Amino acid sequence: MSDAYIVGAGMIPFGRYPDRTYFQLAADATLMALDDCGLSIKDVGAVYASSTFNAASMLGQKMMQQIGQTGVQIVNVSNACASGATAVREAYVAIKSGLYDVVLAVGAEKNPRGMLAGSPVDGPPPEGLFGSVSMPALFAEAGMVHANAYGTTLAQFAQVAVKNHHHATMNPKAAYRKETPLEEVMASEMIAYPLTKLMCSANVDGAAALIMVSEKKARELGLGRAVRLRGSALTSDPFEPRNPDMLDPNSVTRLAVAQAYEMAGMGPEDLDLVELHDCFATAEILHYENLGLCGEGEAGRFIDSGATALGGSIPVNVSGGLLSKGHPIGATGVANMVEIIDQLRGEAGARQVAGARIGLTHVLGFGVGAAAGVHIFEKA
Amino acid sequence: MASNSGLMAKAGNKSVRVGADGTAWIEGYRCEDCGAVMAVPTMACRACASRVPPAPYRSAQTGKLYTWSIVHRSYPGVAVPFVSAIVDLDGGLSFKGTLKGVAPEALKAGLPVRLVFDDAGGTSDADGSPYVGFHFVAGDAQ
Repeated sequence: MSDAYIVGAGMIPFGRYPDRTYFQLAADATLMALDDCGLSIKDVGAVYASSTFNAASMLGQKMMQQIGQTGVQIVNVSNACASGATAVREAYVAIKSGLYDVVLAVGAEKNPRGMLAGSPVDGPPPEGLFGSVSMPALFAEAGMVHANAYGTTLAQFAQVAVKNHHHATMNPKAAYRKETPLEEVMASEMIAYPLTKLMCSANVDGAAALIMVSEKKARELGLGRAVRLRGSALTSDPFEPRNPDMLDPNSVTRLAVAQAYEMAGMGPEDLDLVELHDCFATAEILHYENLGLCGEGEAGRFIDSGATALGGSIPVNVSGGLLSKGHPIGATGVANMVEIIDQLRGEAGARQVAGARIGLTHVLGFGVGAAAGVHIFEKA
Repeated sequence: MASNSGLMAKAGNKSVRVGADGTAWIEGYRCEDCGAVMAVPTMACRACASRVPPAPYRSAQTGKLYTWSIVHRSYPGVAVPFVSAIVDLDGGLSFKGTLKGVAPEALKAGLPVRLVFDDAGGTSDADGSPYVGFHFVAGDAQ
């Protein structure tokens, strides 16, 4: 089977786009990715388009109406916050199958305003009567499991935000590029203890796209800036006794990362950097352990050590993460990969991880169930 | 739990059951093959995929606090702050609910709590039927 290579990557600056539609955002990112590798939309054999809120409206087709309707297969995917990784996973399967030599994975979203809610239910509105269904509360509860078991402190959770906001100051495409010292993070409005406002991801619009090709096509185009996709895994939540009342970010992630490491023939010790799903600061702490970056119960001390900051042994979310780069749901998974590809190409500017050769991306989707996507990339 | 209008109360949550005499209980489902418990009826066991549908049972109303968050900001119209708690009920079922009457500094994993049925915030459906809901309080006495 052919290996799969990324040859084109594009991402629009994340922020608010009141005068653009979500499919125009997708088209912007797609054209950037095509221009990045010198290909045309006419070269693309299949399109995988991701949006959590707009997949059902045929995002991919609407985007092609903007840039050229070539009549190719288009699959629109929605898989909560793992939608973007799902599109890339499908693109990977398409290349590995040998059916296509050039495919496009694109994610785009214009997020709804305000706090994102769960599905509507029959009966009285549950919020406040039956606990909370807000995403901050769900991730606060998940973080408190770690705090209760290992003594993880509010300051350790808050350090995630301090670090990622600092990283974002070096990313011109991040939505929020402002230093937030620890005191400021801890003193910002409490949303759901232990999560303050600055420990919750930035709700923005955005789009990102990747051009993935077969080995044959990659060699034809030249491997100079190509990045090889070494591992790709997408999982759903296995049964956990507390589900669905307690959504579990851990088991679905651990399943995915185990598969991705096995496929890539490598482990956490081989990684040079990670972009993981820091939708909330507590989540990043949990995922250090889920991804095997540190031992069980050590994540609080791990962030304190500086290991995951730029310059540390395994920098995490040097893009600024979802906390400050932003979290346009259906675009997020693709955008995480764009950052890794920029890094492996040595084109990440001030936030470049020196000598980066191997990077991992992770996203976690929560709705009434869960999905996780993990991808491992290596400089070709 | 009939209302003043005489209308029968309805379950305010997927796991609440209300009997003909108005008594309320929590229904769980246990797989006879693997013993896994779940909060909603399913066609097969969610854990082991046994095709024998997990059988209903009346859950205990006592349990222990597993985790929580103190919610300070929520959707418009929701009174804050409140404690959103995950409770492991005795016998294996876990539920999310609002924990009342416990000071934040007294919250700790393993705290004994019990489930108390309530009027689901006084809400009713379009026909005026009241709902039966629940919350948690500290203590293990029934």
